[in-house]
Amino acid sequence: MKKIWLLLCVFLFLCQAATVHALTRSELEKNLICYACPGEPLNIDRCGGGDQMRAEIDRRLALGQSKETILDFFVQQFGDNILTAPPQKGFNLVAYAAPFVALLIGLVVAVMLVWKWAAAGRSSQGILEGDAEGDALFKDMEEQVEDELKKLEDD
Amino acid sequence: MVTLGNLSQSAAFICSLLAMVLLLTGLMRNDLRFIEAGRRALTGVAVLASMAAFALARLFMTDNFQVEYVASYSDRALPIFYKATSFWAGQKGSLLFWAWVLSLYVALVAFNTRKETNRKNTPYIYLILSGIVAFFFLLLVTVSSPFELLAYMPKDGQGLNPMLQNPGMIFHPPTLFLGYIGFTIPFAYAIASLISGKIDPDWLKKTRRWNILSWIFLTIGIILGGQWAYVELGWGGFWAWDPVENASFIPWLISTAFIHTSIIQERRNIMKVWNMSLIVLTFLTCIFGTYLVRSGILQSVHDFGATGLGGYFLAFMIVTGLGSIILIAESYGELRTKHSLESLLSRESTFLFNNVILLAIAFSTFFGTIFPLISEVVTGNKLTVGEPFFNMVNTPLFLLLLAITGLCPLISWRKASMSNLKENFLIPFALAVAGGAVLFITGIRELYPLLAFTLSLFVSATILLEFIGGARARRKLTGESMLLSFPRVIWKLRRRYGGYIVHFGVVLVVVGITGSTAFKLEKELTLQRGETMSIGDYTLKYKDFTSFQDRNRTVYAAILGVTKNGEAVDDMMTERRYYINAKQPTTEVSLRMSLKEDLYLTMPMIGKNDEITIKAAVNPLLVWGWIGGVFMVLGGIMAIIPAGKRRQAV
Repeated sequence: MKKIWLLLCVFLFLCQAATVHALTRSELEKNLICYACPGEPLNIDRCGGGDQMRAEIDRRLALGQSKETILDFFVQQFGDNILTAPPQKGFNLVAYAAPFVALLIGLVVAVMLVWKWAAAGRSSQGILEGDAEGDALFKDMEEQVEDELKKLEDD
Repeated sequence: MVTLGNLSQSAAFICSLLAMVLLLTGLMRNDLRFIEAGRRALTGVAVLASMAAFALARLFMTDNFQVEYVASYSDRALPIFYKATSFWAGQKGSLLFWAWVLSLYVALVAFNTRKETNRKNTPYIYLILSGIVAFFFLLLVTVSSPFELLAYMPKDGQGLNPMLQNPGMIFHPPTLFLGYIGFTIPFAYAIASLISGKIDPDWLKKTRRWNILSWIFLTIGIILGGQWAYVELGWGGFWAWDPVENASFIPWLISTAFIHTSIIQERRNIMKVWNMSLIVLTFLTCIFGTYLVRSGILQSVHDFGATGLGGYFLAFMIVTGLGSIILIAESYGELRTKHSLESLLSRESTFLFNNVILLAIAFSTFFGTIFPLISEVVTGNKLTVGEPFFNMVNTPLFLLLLAITGLCPLISWRKASMSNLKENFLIPFALAVAGGAVLFITGIRELYPLLAFTLSLFVSATILLEFIGGARARRKLTGESMLLSFPRVIWKLRRRYGGYIVHFGVVLVVVGITGSTAFKLEKELTLQRGETMSIGDYTLKYKDFTSFQDRNRTVYAAILGVTKNGEAVDDMMTERRYYINAKQPTTEVSLRMSLKEDLYLTMPMIGKNDEITIKAAVNPLLVWGWIGGVFMVLGGIMAIIPAGKRRQAV
């Protein structure tokens, strides 16, 4: 088990080490909103205000500044609303965490349900007895699929 | 034509109300004659709605600019081709289009069920459908008529937004609408079965084709929208996680979940409450999509701004949502069945997990879309939530979904034994690990792309094994050759294999998206005539500059000679277009597609003395995303082709 963890750590380290690449203007444009056109990402915008921002990005890229430094500059100038993704702080963390919390809750509920249904299945000796009326309605469709599957799976 | 349009849509509204009254009377008196009259009235609505649609189309074709809607979205110079599509270019026309298509769908249901009016839930289906149709016509008649007249006759119209003058305009909005509207039918069947108390899986069986057909249309709409956004600057690339794009993706995710669990209900007669809830959610999120584009609550390049209709749609969603919750709660006892599974590990349980992940993605997309509103209420600051957020949150969820897409076929229905699992897992797992290792060694080191490609290999391997296994089994049974048994088993079990083809399409979409986002090359350079720039294996030489008049636009074009690894491959022309009536010029993309990569050129600026700025990009593997879309649609179509009549056993 330790070996697996070690291998996983080495793999993740190698992946992390390999992700260093040259920063491009397009990458930054996706993270910024045009200050002159509220709500419009800079990679879509083509107005004069956007051109000013692009020129500023180019100037800072030429100076070798990092993505974070350049984004921080724009945040200082125009506030958090200039970003296309909410900064990961304060109330915004709810946006980042909520989907994973929802997934976790969903998975826990699903595991509990499957567990419960499997226990019910064991106690009723296996084969599920569905609603007889419903089964009858689907008899044709079921028959076709089941027959074919049975033939294939038995083989 | 204006009078015809106004009269027909008003008559359609009255006729839908009449249908409701007749149906209610029929239900109260238990009189089939009223039910039959109500059913016929629904056909009448479709005829009247078609007349209104014809009137609007005719007004566009005849340049009747006294009609405010026509003047806003057309002009004399607009090619006839786009005059027709202007029908749904604006809010009012798209609302009429929605109401018209819905009335046609309803008429089709009324026709198909003409011999079933005596069934307990059929009148309720008609009643719900007529209520929804009436709602749309009410909006058209009272708030948002496309036939409103101006007080004067303008000499010309304002023209169609240049971004909408693209072949994508013909197919993308209608197919998306066909998808959205189609889910109304299974919703009506589900609710009707709850109201009538005839809660059996009948509604699921009868609406299976509606579900899948609507899903297919939604898929086509989304894929075509992506393709259009890719070739037309200003939409933000093939997928920008724009609120309106998200609004089409959310019902797609939920309906995908529904299609999966409806299979379990069909096979096992369980998860009835869950499926009822999913179809209600699918319908509501379809309405949410149209609410979003008409309410102006969120900024989007796709929306119509504040149209005054937001409140109506919100009220409709609240009433429908609450009503559905109450109905499901009231019928909970009847919907509840004795759930049991033979094993913890079975295809049924993996379907449940696939549902959880699909809904988690739908939730994160919905939550991210409306988060600016939540943040405004809580903090007073309306933030923007865009592409980086959705990529960060949804990518791991998509990878999880991809993994479970591969796992599902390996696990048997009812019960999977460990030995069975080991046997099934071994080859796909080994292939995926080996493929992943090769990719790692060849330089793909970023975690997400590496995982995406490795999982794509895993899923492809499981699908391929399913196909081979099926063909082998048939060969053993029938003695046919593999060449014959392969297509025959696929055709024989087309519902099952159609599903696998959809899954394979998803894999290709993942490959296309991963390749083009993780390994994209981009460069922007200003060139003088004769100068070159290079990107990846390509060298671009600025050869010539020209300008010409083309229908309703003046075009400025640069011609670039393209060489790849020193060999001349193509001349590409990228344009700036100045449309009549447009405030800003548009930039036209020049595209060279291949299976390996796309070379994507735009000309964002033209300087003095024919100096041009060229933005070049190389998008690896993107074409596989479009091919994947085709596979998804074909697989879906295959799954709904009706089975031929079975031969009687002798």
